[in-house]
Amino acid sequence: MAGASVKVAVRVRPFNSRETGRNAKCVIQMQGNTTCISNPKQTKDGAKNFTFDYSYWSHTTAEDPAFASQTQVYKDIGEEMLLHAFEGYNVCIFAYGQTGAGKSYTMMGKQEPGQEGIIPQLCEDLFQRTGENRDPDLTYSVEVSYMEIYCERVRDLLNPMSQGTLRVREHPILGPYVEDLSKLAVTGFPDIRDLMDVGNKARTVAATNMNETSSRSHAVFTIVFTQKRRDQMTSLDTEKVSKISLVDLAGSERADSSGAKGTRLKEGANINKSLTTLGKVISALAEMQSNKKRKSDFIPYRDSVLTWLLKENLGGNSRTAMIAALSPADINYEETLSTLRYADRAKQIRCHAVINEDPNAKLIRELKAEVERLRNLLFSQGLQELLGSAGIYTFYTGIHAPVSAGDVPADPNHLTEEGEEGEEAVATETISKEEAAERLLETEKIIAELNETWEEKLRKTESIRLEREALLAEMGVSIKEDGGTLGVFSPKGTPHLVNLNEDPLMSECLLYYIKEGFTRVGQQDVDIKLSGHFIKEIHCVFVSETNEQGEGETLTSINTTGSGGGKAL
Amino acid sequence: MAWRAICEKFINAQNLVEIESRKDPESDPFRSRYKARELLKEIYCSLKNFEATEEENGGESEDGFSQGFSGDSPAGLQAAKLGAVEYYLGVNHIDTEELSAGQEHLMNCIKLLERCRVSPENVSLFIHVRNQLGILWAGRDETETAQEFLETAESIYQCYMKEDGTPPTDMTEYFTTEENLLTHQERTKRFELAYTHTMYYLAQVYRNLGQTERAATYCHCTLQRQLQLNQFSPMEWALNAATLSQYYITKGRYMEGRHCLSAATVISGLAGEVPCEPAAQESETENEHWEQLRQKGAEIARCWIKYCLNLLQDAKKLLEDNIGELDTDRQEELKRARTHNEEEEEKCKKSTLMFGSEDTFDAIASLEEKVCCSFPLDFTEARAVFLVGQNYVTQAKEYFQIDGYVTDHIEILQDHSALFKTLAFFEEDLERRCKMHKRRVDMIEPICNDLNAKYYLLIRRQLMFELAETFMEMTDLKLALANRQTDTQSLDNHTIKKFNYLCSASAKYFQMFLDSLCFPEGKFPEHLEEEVLRPALVAHFRVGRLHSRLITFSPLAQLENLSKSLENYKYVVEYCEVHPEAATAVEAELELSKEMVGLVPFASLRWLYIENILFNFFSYFGWSLV
Repeated sequence: MAGASVKVAVRVRPFNSRETGRNAKCVIQMQGNTTCISNPKQTKDGAKNFTFDYSYWSHTTAEDPAFASQTQVYKDIGEEMLLHAFEGYNVCIFAYGQTGAGKSYTMMGKQEPGQEGIIPQLCEDLFQRTGENRDPDLTYSVEVSYMEIYCERVRDLLNPMSQGTLRVREHPILGPYVEDLSKLAVTGFPDIRDLMDVGNKARTVAATNMNETSSRSHAVFTIVFTQKRRDQMTSLDTEKVSKISLVDLAGSERADSSGAKGTRLKEGANINKSLTTLGKVISALAEMQSNKKRKSDFIPYRDSVLTWLLKENLGGNSRTAMIAALSPADINYEETLSTLRYADRAKQIRCHAVINEDPNAKLIRELKAEVERLRNLLFSQGLQELLGSAGIYTFYTGIHAPVSAGDVPADPNHLTEEGEEGEEAVATETISKEEAAERLLETEKIIAELNETWEEKLRKTESIRLEREALLAEMGVSIKEDGGTLGVFSPKGTPHLVNLNEDPLMSECLLYYIKEGFTRVGQQDVDIKLSGHFIKEIHCVFVSETNEQGEGETLTSINTTGSGGGKAL
Repeated sequence: MAWRAICEKFINAQNLVEIESRKDPESDPFRSRYKARELLKEIYCSLKNFEATEEENGGESEDGFSQGFSGDSPAGLQAAKLGAVEYYLGVNHIDTEELSAGQEHLMNCIKLLERCRVSPENVSLFIHVRNQLGILWAGRDETETAQEFLETAESIYQCYMKEDGTPPTDMTEYFTTEENLLTHQERTKRFELAYTHTMYYLAQVYRNLGQTERAATYCHCTLQRQLQLNQFSPMEWALNAATLSQYYITKGRYMEGRHCLSAATVISGLAGEVPCEPAAQESETENEHWEQLRQKGAEIARCWIKYCLNLLQDAKKLLEDNIGELDTDRQEELKRARTHNEEEEEKCKKSTLMFGSEDTFDAIASLEEKVCCSFPLDFTEARAVFLVGQNYVTQAKEYFQIDGYVTDHIEILQDHSALFKTLAFFEEDLERRCKMHKRRVDMIEPICNDLNAKYYLLIRRQLMFELAETFMEMTDLKLALANRQTDTQSLDNHTIKKFNYLCSASAKYFQMFLDSLCFPEGKFPEHLEEEVLRPALVAHFRVGRLHSRLITFSPLAQLENLSKSLENYKYVVEYCEVHPEAATAVEAELELSKEMVGLVPFASLRWLYIENILFNFFSYFGWSLV
């Protein structure tokens, strides 16, 4: 568990047309790992040296022997991080720098051969390596998600259907996650490249004087890489899951003043302009004070969404690399210097990592138990009531609120009147039925996701892809560069029910499609047969009808006893 | 005529920046600002033309150059107008991410103003331009440069207020026709707001320079000015005041801390009652707003919890003797001293910076009376603080539920547990003290076992350690109780069982904590990270102790326990031998461990002679009979 510090590289880009037009001078020089910046206004003693793990000279063209290509940057940084991912570590690579300094080029690059950035190269390499696997007991799976954080709001870049902003939440078992963010299963590099393409098109980009295509948001491309090994002796599966986060930060000069706050790492000397950020200034004071003494105060300002989501990467279980993108031009001298100073500070950040083993099977079991408990409780209370009129009733649960308003003794003097230790009154919790139903639904949503088989994940990915393509086709966008046909444009997703198996160890689940018209659910003589204590003969009926425009379908469920264990998708 | 056209252009430019720019599409975020820039450039050219004609007319430009123009002279006004356009151009460039160009414009403004004396006509510009330069340089990590600009702005303000003080012309008025000039009141308001910003920026500069105390004073002033000038949004202000309280609390300045918190609670009430639930069918933004209010309310509650907790903990530190028990002599002494201090406290209170307007002042004061700000010295006083804290725990948990806010929820639980722990210190009755610790176990144990170890590794480590320590505390209390009751008699079976249960529970959680440090293959790391070094060694040490404390009447079991005990002591000793630098972190524990490693085998002897299993004994400890 030896700690590893953040790997830091800097990279300088060529002049852009604007700079060439203005006869800009290059203020950056590089020698080995050292980067030197000279002050255009004080040529005598203005030079400053910085040493990093890598200094990449990409100011000239490939003819220059010192030139660092996209491939070299990947070989040095991307490959190392990918190998860590194979070992089971979470890894994170992020690009930092002023707007127009070349962050997106380094991370994403361009489509032309040799111009691809770290992200596509890493993905390609990943599949290359998994493709070479000849061990029948070892299987791999890869899922990707792509989101952007714009003004503290999270958007799904891979799902055109998700319009609004997504909520970030923390679950006791799942950890921090983005609710409803699509995680798409991919089987080969072409899949992932298409997804990347789609996501890049959906990103918020803007044209400014400083940069023709300036990305205004933080973009986070995440690969969840699972290695499953079957032990022949015990026929047990062990899983190693690593999360690869590839982050393209918004321009560093935008930090704080305009809402697209940088990561916590950006602790620089920036001044917040607006009085609305006064609290953040004060909280920094309180923190500075408490670090010396103790950690017993509370700073009521959350860090940015990005920091929050990456906290496991920046804080503990991860290997991290940072690439600071530099502008070579004299007009950007001050900003470039500040980027270099920041990169210099980042060297000292240390994270230590723990290898992650086998979370999924256990997760499912725990969640199943939780659902089972909640469900039993709901059944025992009479489920139909749940969906009926509003009201409050009491039930208890061990997890959610062991001590809540109801049972906190108002006066510690009463402590003596309580029973022996170990026999204390079980915490009771009063929650509304709606809340209970919501919780159940939420947990089931998570379970369904965990329980999905690989095939289903692929199927879902496919259907999202089709939806997306349909949408893009409508907008006149084609994803394939060659403009080839995309096949069926709009097979409407058929609504269906997902069945959660009673047996927690069965990782499969059944799908029930709901046809147009009536679909009856119950014990006997029905379209969907369910068995179990609480299933009535005719349990419920789903009505699916096409609306007048013929565009969408309305799904109505008529419950006779309330919803079963299923969830309508 | 031409002047009117200039005024119109200026109004248009302002409008573009302040209103139109908000509607700019994400793909073209600076569209309106670029348009405004063009207008400003045109204004600049027109002004330059004016200047040219005026000079032809033979203005008084040469006169008074050495002392600078007076602000209301034609040349002075001309300079101010040109300076203002440069200022707006500078801000415009900075807003559109062209920092170097922005800096140039701002410096042009400074140069133009250098030729003028400070007067009501230009003082506002003097301050604004320095505020902007302060921000710009701070953003480049050149804090000292920023500080210079901002401190100059501060002294210009103070000088002006001392020597003149009339409501100064606002910069927008340079380009306004007579009929649209601002009222005195509005002028003052805008001018004071500019200075509020100077103070706020200085606060940040001082923070960046590490001058926290000074920074905090400037933050405090900023808050005060916001309130006085009625330029704040209640919930935001309240949260800021609550944050400031955290600074004072860590400094041990409880009176100021309490004042900030009370003001926070009262002012947040101005944001309107938080409805229990948003009315159905409300828009998403309103829903979000409602959510925000709830969250901020809960966050202020959490600040109150910390206030109560820190006050109790600091009092405990003051009152405890060298083994962590209540020192009654010290208690008496402090109680006597307190009566003297109360008057001084009043005086001190007046001197501190107070928040509040006439209508809120009483409300704040009455809230302050609900909880003391001097250290509680006995159980009754401690309990009063505890109850206030516990009340806020309940409030905070209503928003920060486990499902959705895992980390926050657990932090609140940890505070609640800590409140009980500190209260237990003041409790004299051992039975009741034990029950307080039991409550801590009850709130932490289930959560600790339910959390996913992968995502909440660090939190779980904290919880496991706390559980282990709490169980250990309970064993101590149980033993003390049993000894007191039965004196010389031997312990009854029930007590032994309970005692052993608590002992093993404590050892179990220490072991869980240690296991959490292992590599995935289950190997314990050879080298411990700095942040877990001491906890890990302490855990070993305590496990060693706990095993030896287990009560059993079976010699073999006892031998087993002692051997486990020895193992743990040995670990501490051996680790420090291999890593000598670790010894300083655990000096006392190391000392004792060394002794125990020597003693445990002999302690075991007593048992062994009785049962005549000397041979086993030797093999247990790896000795051979020679």
